[in-house]
Amino acid sequence: MFLKKEEIVDKQTEKNSRVAVLNLAGKRSDQWSLMLVSVGENRDRQAFAQLFKHFAPLLKSFAQASRHEGWFPGLSEDLVQEVMIKVWQKAAGYNPEKASATTWIYTVARNCRIDMLRRKSNTQHLPLENEDFWHEPDEETPVTLLRQKRSEEKVQASLAQLPKEQDEILRKVYLEGKSHAEASNELGLPLGTVKSRVRLALQKMQILVAPEFQDELLNDH
Amino acid sequence: MTTKLNYHPDKAMLVEFSAGTLETAPSICISAHLHFCEACRTELLSLNEIGAQLMSEATPVPVDDAALESALDAVMAVIDQPQRVETAVKDQPNKSGFPFSISKLIANAESTLTWKRLTSSVDIAQFKTGQKAFEVALHKICAGGKTPKHDHNGVEYTVVLKGSFSDERAVYKEGDFLMRQPGDVHQPMGAQNGECICLSALAAPIKLSNPLGFLMRPWLRINPM
Ligand SMILES: [Zn+2]
Repeated sequence: MFLKKEEIVDKQTEKNSRVAVLNLAGKRSDQWSLMLVSVGENRDRQAFAQLFKHFAPLLKSFAQASRHEGWFPGLSEDLVQEVMIKVWQKAAGYNPEKASATTWIYTVARNCRIDMLRRKSNTQHLPLENEDFWHEPDEETPVTLLRQKRSEEKVQASLAQLPKEQDEILRKVYLEGKSHAEASNELGLPLGTVKSRVRLALQKMQILVAPEFQDELLNDH
Repeated sequence: MTTKLNYHPDKAMLVEFSAGTLETAPSICISAHLHFCEACRTELLSLNEIGAQLMSEATPVPVDDAALESALDAVMAVIDQPQRVETAVKDQPNKSGFPFSISKLIANAESTLTWKRLTSSVDIAQFKTGQKAFEVALHKICAGGKTPKHDHNGVEYTVVLKGSFSDERAVYKEGDFLMRQPGDVHQPMGAQNGECICLSALAAPIKLSNPLGFLMRPWLRINPM
């Protein structure tokens, strides 16, 4: 899992870093994911520095996008720092079959952002952290990289194609951190409309894949 | 561990969970459902992808190299400090068979989690979850036990953790996730073949539709800690 330096700094591949490539061994081989694996396996400081330089500015903009009650701009730097420390500490638990480095780091950032807010607005001891909600059972979800990759590609390709009103709500929810109820208030839309726009967006991205949900899809239309 | 479940959280709720905008109590219920439900776990991998994609498409905040280097140095300085010891609960094997978040709540409540009798067939144990919007509790219904018929003043989420129960509509088994809205009157009954333990998050007191309901007063108590 060692990368040559030239590969790490290769600007050409950097451009395509979001598109994870399947190599012959069926491994995830986008550069960020390989670096994250190397941080986990080898405590690779050089790879970590590269990850830091790529993700810190993205994390900062994710932090600044927050419109949570009680969030203020000064927290952004704290968030970047906290997320990157967690990335270092938890990298050994990163499973490239399940998620790209970007997705994994997003989940770390999401959890940190919520926990920072909960700690700020709460004087009581909080027995659970957000990552506790994401703890896998002992029997892990069997995922095939190929299937996961297809789903990522669908999301990436179709997210850009979503109608503006669906895109707007997903951004409010994922980036600003608004609940559907808050989004409905802000946009002056009934809650049901917000939820149905979300469901339509998922449908476009073909995220509803489980057979259990097929009926529901049919019922919606 | 069951993987084919009949009752799942609504898609919009999974999106909020994936975005981290769902309140603590319903999040606990989703996490309990995920312990049993492979379909929703897989779906969440894709939902997280939306957040990741939106995050990575955002215009990065311009940070000059010097600032970036010093931020990196600050992080490396923290990393090089001796590791803090992780909380012990994480390393303990999960013997209860309960979802991780529930086991952690139980471990946290070790000295204070107490079962209280509600009716001859229902016991309740409330959790401290650090929030006040919902009462989060375990309910234990004895085999064949009937619970009082009740309406809901506020939304109630229920996840079956052990055994099964039924109401007028269906049978709910381990992992099933239910949402009851105000106006949904129901009367859950424990399965005949064993006790049933459910996790519930209740947004407001429920009211009994039984005229003798006042006797069941403790069932109504909403006293989030
Ligand atoms: Zn499910």
